[in-house]
Amino acid sequence: MRTRRDPRAERQAKLVPGTARPRFLVGAAPAGFANAGAATGPTGRPRRDPRASRAAAVVRTAPRLRLDWTNKGQASLAIGTAQAAAAVKAAVRVIEEPAFLVLAVLDQPGGAPSDHDRQLIAGARLLADAGGGAVVAVTVEGVSGLGEAGADRLLALPADLAEGYEPERHAAAVLAAIETLKPRHVLFAESADGGADLARRVAAALGERLFAGVEALSPDRASRRARGGAAEMARAPARLMSVAADALPPHEGTVHEARTIPAPAFEAERRIGAVRPLAVDPDLIPLTETDFILSAGNGVTDWEGFAELARVLGATRGGSRVVCDEGHLPRERQVGASGSLVRAGCYVAYGIAGAPQHLQGITEVKRVVAINTDLHAEMIKRADLAIVADAQEVMPALIRHALERRAERQGKERRNA
Amino acid sequence: MLKVAVLLSIGRHPASGRPRRAPLDARALELALRLPGAEIHAVHAGDPAEPVLRDYLGMGLDRLTVLEIPAGSDPVPALVAHLKALSPDLILAGRCAEGGEDSGMLPYLVAQGLGAALLPDVADLSAGEGTATLTQALPRGRRRQAEARFPLVVSVHPAAPEPRQSAFARARRGLVEAVAASAPQDGFIGECEIRPWRPRPKRLRLAAGGSALERLKAATETKSGQGQVLVRPTADEAARAIYEYLVEQRVIGTS
Amino acid sequence: MIATALSSLILATLAAGAVLALQHARRWRAGQPAGVDIVAGLKALPGRYLVDVHHVVARKSFNARFHALTAGGFLASLPLLVLAAVPALRGWLLWGLLALALAVMLGGALMVGYRRRVEKPAELSQGRFKRLPYALLAYAAAFLVVALDQLAGGVLPWPLALAFVLAGAWGGAELILGVGRGPLKHALNGALHLVAHPRPARFHDRAGRDTGLRPADLEAPKLGSERPLDFAWNRLLGFDACVQCGRCEVACPAYAADLPLNPKKLIQDLVTAMDTAADGERRTDASYAGHNHPGRPIGLAQGGAALPLVGPGAMIHPDTLWACTTCRACVQECPMMIEHVDAVIDLRRFQTLELGATPAKAAAVLEELRVTDNPGGKPLARRTDWAVDLNLPLLAEKGQCDVLLWLGDGAFDLRVQRSLRALVGLMRRAGIDFAVLGEEELDSGDVARRLGDEATFQDLARRNIATLSRYRFGRIVTADPHALHVIRNEYPSFGGHWTVTHHTAFLLELVESGKLTLKGPTGGSVTYHDPCYLGRYNGEIEAPRRLLDAIGLQRVEMERSGLRSSCCGGGGGAPLTDVAGKRRIPDVRMDHARATGAERVAVACPTCTLMLEGVVGQRPAVAEISELVLEAVA
Repeated sequence: MRTRRDPRAERQAKLVPGTARPRFLVGAAPAGFANAGAATGPTGRPRRDPRASRAAAVVRTAPRLRLDWTNKGQASLAIGTAQAAAAVKAAVRVIEEPAFLVLAVLDQPGGAPSDHDRQLIAGARLLADAGGGAVVAVTVEGVSGLGEAGADRLLALPADLAEGYEPERHAAAVLAAIETLKPRHVLFAESADGGADLARRVAAALGERLFAGVEALSPDRASRRARGGAAEMARAPARLMSVAADALPPHEGTVHEARTIPAPAFEAERRIGAVRPLAVDPDLIPLTETDFILSAGNGVTDWEGFAELARVLGATRGGSRVVCDEGHLPRERQVGASGSLVRAGCYVAYGIAGAPQHLQGITEVKRVVAINTDLHAEMIKRADLAIVADAQEVMPALIRHALERRAERQGKERRNA
Repeated sequence: MLKVAVLLSIGRHPASGRPRRAPLDARALELALRLPGAEIHAVHAGDPAEPVLRDYLGMGLDRLTVLEIPAGSDPVPALVAHLKALSPDLILAGRCAEGGEDSGMLPYLVAQGLGAALLPDVADLSAGEGTATLTQALPRGRRRQAEARFPLVVSVHPAAPEPRQSAFARARRGLVEAVAASAPQDGFIGECEIRPWRPRPKRLRLAAGGSALERLKAATETKSGQGQVLVRPTADEAARAIYEYLVEQRVIGTS
Repeated sequence: MIATALSSLILATLAAGAVLALQHARRWRAGQPAGVDIVAGLKALPGRYLVDVHHVVARKSFNARFHALTAGGFLASLPLLVLAAVPALRGWLLWGLLALALAVMLGGALMVGYRRRVEKPAELSQGRFKRLPYALLAYAAAFLVVALDQLAGGVLPWPLALAFVLAGAWGGAELILGVGRGPLKHALNGALHLVAHPRPARFHDRAGRDTGLRPADLEAPKLGSERPLDFAWNRLLGFDACVQCGRCEVACPAYAADLPLNPKKLIQDLVTAMDTAADGERRTDASYAGHNHPGRPIGLAQGGAALPLVGPGAMIHPDTLWACTTCRACVQECPMMIEHVDAVIDLRRFQTLELGATPAKAAAVLEELRVTDNPGGKPLARRTDWAVDLNLPLLAEKGQCDVLLWLGDGAFDLRVQRSLRALVGLMRRAGIDFAVLGEEELDSGDVARRLGDEATFQDLARRNIATLSRYRFGRIVTADPHALHVIRNEYPSFGGHWTVTHHTAFLLELVESGKLTLKGPTGGSVTYHDPCYLGRYNGEIEAPRRLLDAIGLQRVEMERSGLRSSCCGGGGGAPLTDVAGKRRIPDVRMDHARATGAERVAVACPTCTLMLEGVVGQRPAVAEISELVLEAVA
């Protein structure tokens, strides 16, 4: 007996719920498919929903429509998020028999790998992947997470190298690693935290040229800035290179195995000793060097309070021209076209309206906090955080707040200890 | 008496491209001139007819030795040979010599050639018996002190004291002493392709993650901030907002 | 017998005075040689005295009157007293004339007494000068009594008459011997200075104005002046002519803002140092009895004729030297025609060229100038960045033009660019055939020269002259009075001769010739601030005022204006050397502007614009004249 088919019911059964237009899943329908998410078809294949992806790409609608079609944003919508993440996690790339090695000598200021270090590994990855090589990250003991950054091997040097300042020993350790591993390329971080120094020590000891401060890198070409910044010098990637900060993107996508390999023994003569960090009063750091400036303008009247505020925040004091003219701050504290051109990470403009000459002095500053009574002041426009208030009135509250928070922190530390 | 050699190169002004004293080498010379009772030997490898060399003399030097080598050749062997004969206690040079490759290798190669110790990024120094006490400049205004034995090569950091003004009359009176030297042609630079530097777009740190709006913001953000504005908050609100922001920016430590 | 005593005492005093004056002349004669045409100077002396000196003195009419009476009476009395030595001439005529001269002098002496003892202007020096009115009175009154007595045939008892003679003789000795040491040094040295003046062209018998600095010989064994002895003798003579009248002190903008500079004391520092023997003897400034450089104690500075003048412990503190804005207000006011600014520049030349001791940012700016030909160290191609939309014609492309617009270094500044745009707009409207040098224009060298860096100045001047010589153009128009002064007055020494017009004069021409038509009165009040380098340096004070009147603004004058205007504080590299005072010079000047109640301050110089606009607080708006004219054109 032939079973009777009910085409309507079948059709209804194949209807995929949750989409705007009726969609049907033809073919074998596994049980419970109706529960499957909208973005994944019952077969497990990812499904596209052009409307949803367009909606997700909308950055803003007014005054004009703006769309952002870079894949990264869409990925989470086009592919099921959890599944995509799982897929990436699963794919640990293992390079068992590398054709050659590329060393990335990490900088690790303060012990942990920095963004610069990740860029370095990415650079090494680039060179390694071009010919089936493997990346060896030269790090110190106790560092993890470099597999995600793109390292195939880890060569861990003694941890005390990262703590003290022994550039000669550090160089000897890296030299020993180069001697043993015979890498095709060695990449260093061109950083003032020690990477630049290490690269040059190693290069000098090997008697090889260092292609220093690489700004752009591809498997067949590396380029750097030379002649006081006026010229670009390019050639095939050298054996020893140091990479400038933010020149390369960090590695993404694949995870590498980061297998630990043994560090070779080394020894070094010590000619530098009695190393100790000097306590530096933040207020005595020259404006051009400091990273955090508290700068006063016409809105400040209580100068003792201002000094106190700088002290509790740990900032270097600066000031506008008028303030320095009036003698509240010495001339070398003046920020602006006729004073210092500063490049601090954070600049707190305290009661500064923002004359063009002053703004010229802070063009290189990354973040600006402004406190000013005038909403239309130029400095408020320039600021990343702008407070329209009387700077002088906020001062005692800010001092109090900073002291309270510090006391809290210290209390917590004591409890932890 | 303390014997100090200062290695001087010729810099180029970034705006005009004209030769000038290299700012870092001038700082090295300034540090040397501040050492009490030091016997200073200033050395340059290059063309003795370069008029800008006199700017160093104008800082108060009586004479300047120029190892005469052709342009584009490697100055290191000539410098090492000259310094071996001179055997100074202390050799000062800018962190990065200008005019050649600008790789900052010169102090290291000289130290290697002489078998001397090297300390980089020095902002200040004082000399004792057989050793020097040096202050190193680290990022973000930090300082570190170290001691090192002579012979010592020191590379000088931009945080070192401003070089004194070069006086025209002293520059005119000083003596440039040319010494013939041999130098191998530098093949490495010859392999390189050199062209004018073109500024390239800055790589954004916030390339991945975040919402599309955040990424667009990061990509289009100009220096005229588009930040948060608090209008007429109370003093406490304002204080909290500022403090939180500073903590968020890791300007103030949280630990 | 009384007559004999009288004339012999005077003769003896005159002889002593002559010896003293000769001795003192050795001080300034020890200076460097100078090519001086003594004969021509002597011929010109009366004219220079009666016209040029009188013109300065007469700015205070009371002073001019008492000076004429006192000096006239005194000078007339001296030959008469000498003639009285001849018994045959002692008659009623002689005594009558003498009495007349002394009576005139007595009138003047009373006025001097009134000024010194009653009015007591603060700028006058005390010390030896305190006794001056008494000496004048004693001489005039006592000898008047004696002359009248002789006229009457000797009615006074002889001891009394002799007492009068002695009293008068004390006064005479005080005056005549004072010719050597002061207070009446100026009578002799002043006259000699007029004869041997280092800038004869500044007097009415020549050009009437001579403000360009003299080129320094860069091959000389010593550049600039280190010690008093390094100055030329006629310049030392000039310093020695100073009467310490304090007019420069009143006029000096640095002194007004309490910067450590008093031009009167500066000259006296030079004189005190000169007073020592040339063998290295030291002397402090303790004998000086006037106002010091503000903020500095008297008695600590010490120096000598053969010792360095400038230094922290020397006669002149570096801050004093570098506080000067070279505005020439002191020179303008000096009745002795002393050239203060030349002295300052000579001292600065030594500091900069020989010692490399230019202070603060100034040294860095000089280095940038040397390497990039502009003080900001910017690429020269960016000088015309602000005008990309204006399509400024380049002289290099046009080859020739009527008017070469010299942009100056202000073109790198955002604020000044605004006024330059206004000027270019006006020139376009008027249909002027103009062009700019663009990248080929270098800094004029003004700042370098005022900071004493003659080497950099000469280099810039020579290269600018070489560039300008390659082209054909009618004249140069510039909005920068500093460039105007340098090209007009200082380039000729290096072979560059061009007609330079300030843009205010040029715009006035355009308005008056009808090339620019005005809308009619724009209204509003304005006060005009004269740039020193246009007014005092070049005598151009009328054109800007007529231009403001033409566009229908209600013009009010400040307390100081025209040739006696007060500086904005921006000249002579003063913003770079940045010497601190109690106030800032532009703040002081803005006070003058505020006091007029005008809505706007009109300026005609990029430096003045920047300095006055840097004043904070309630103040009149600062507008460049070309901006005002642009508002007013139809």
